[in-house]
Amino acid sequence: MGDVQWPWQYSFPPFFTIQPNAETRQKQLDAWRTLLLDYCRTQKVSVIDVREGDLLPVFNNTTISRKLSPDAIMTVLGVLQKTGNAEPLDKTRTRWNVYWHTLDEWASIVYKWAQDNAMLNTVCTFYEIASDSGDLNGIDDGVLTKALRVLERRQQAEILTLDGGSGVKFFS
Amino acid sequence: MRRRAGVGAIQKQKLEQEKYKDKGTVIQENQFEQMTKQMEVFRGNLEEFATKYKNEIKKNSQFRRQFQEMCSSIGVDPLASGKGFWSVLGIGDFYYELAVQIVEVCMATSYKNGGIIGLDELRDRLIKARGRNIQHQEITVDDLLCAAKKLKIFGNGFCVIPVGKGQYMVQSVPGELSMDQTAVLKLLSSSGSPCVSLSSLKVQLNWEETRAVNAISQMVIEGLCWVDSQNEGEFSYWFPAMFNECITS
Repeated sequence: MGDVQWPWQYSFPPFFTIQPNAETRQKQLDAWRTLLLDYCRTQKVSVIDVREGDLLPVFNNTTISRKLSPDAIMTVLGVLQKTGNAEPLDKTRTRWNVYWHTLDEWASIVYKWAQDNAMLNTVCTFYEIASDSGDLNGIDDGVLTKALRVLERRQQAEILTLDGGSGVKFFS
Repeated sequence: MRRRAGVGAIQKQKLEQEKYKDKGTVIQENQFEQMTKQMEVFRGNLEEFATKYKNEIKKNSQFRRQFQEMCSSIGVDPLASGKGFWSVLGIGDFYYELAVQIVEVCMATSYKNGGIIGLDELRDRLIKARGRNIQHQEITVDDLLCAAKKLKIFGNGFCVIPVGKGQYMVQSVPGELSMDQTAVLKLLSSSGSPCVSLSSLKVQLNWEETRAVNAISQMVIEGLCWVDSQNEGEFSYWFPAMFNECITS
């Protein structure tokens, strides 16, 4: 996992307070969106629990003693949701999936991987997909399943239940 | 017996007056001719000077400053018009170009600083944008001030605010800063800190609560500063334009 490149806002104390002025808040949320997606991609974080947000350094800058409150985290995730980059996992919106690629993008990436690795018309396991050396490396099972469901809808794949876990068959 | 003035004398007087008049116009014409000649010589010299030193004016910041000083001491503003013969100097072009670049930098950074920028940061960014050539690099704070002041003619959307101790900030958002808001900027600039609180305003500027609240909330509305609610004790207000990590990012 690479180091996170913190933007200047991360050390700017009011960045951790949702801004009252609409225009400033827009800039702030844009910056949060970029930062959070960056953070999740480099640190491979796919699930965020709003109540435990301060366990993640991205929401808790101990150097300047500033944290993003659970409500504020929910606001940021709401922004990500609008662009298809996040999705709540329960009705209370406390647990979230974060997609640094949208599910459509993930679906295309997985399908391209299958083409490139001559996996069309054969069955492969989730494990095989997640041990790819590129983008797909370490992909969360939940996210992968959702991406494959997109492919199922496109009739490009079918999810199978195997003995030792899940697998998928890609169609050409 | 004293003779009364005769017709002859009157006519003589008239004749003399006319001669005086004629002489007067002749002298005036002479002077005018001389002036015209002098102006032509001056103009010729100036053009010669301009063609000879045009590059020097563009390149050498000290030369530019001296030239500016000379102009102001004889009461001429070479930037006042692009049409007059001062334009042959090209010094106007230099500042116009600089002014446009200043606007560009202000536009490019306003998304993060809300439209106020320190003159030093402006200079750093400008120099980075102008290319590596030595002549592009030598831009002094004087040059910037000179160019930025010219932008005033576009209304109050653009102005230079002195914040004390030879420091300046350039404001590029429409709407003038009030005296009180300028006072806040001055306080920040002199303390070297990017943030204030209401109590520090009350103590250091001797303000009443409402006055401090008014000045700050207006600046929040204009997007010049951000609110931090996690400060111990009371809210603090942060100015990205004064925040080091923002300036250098």
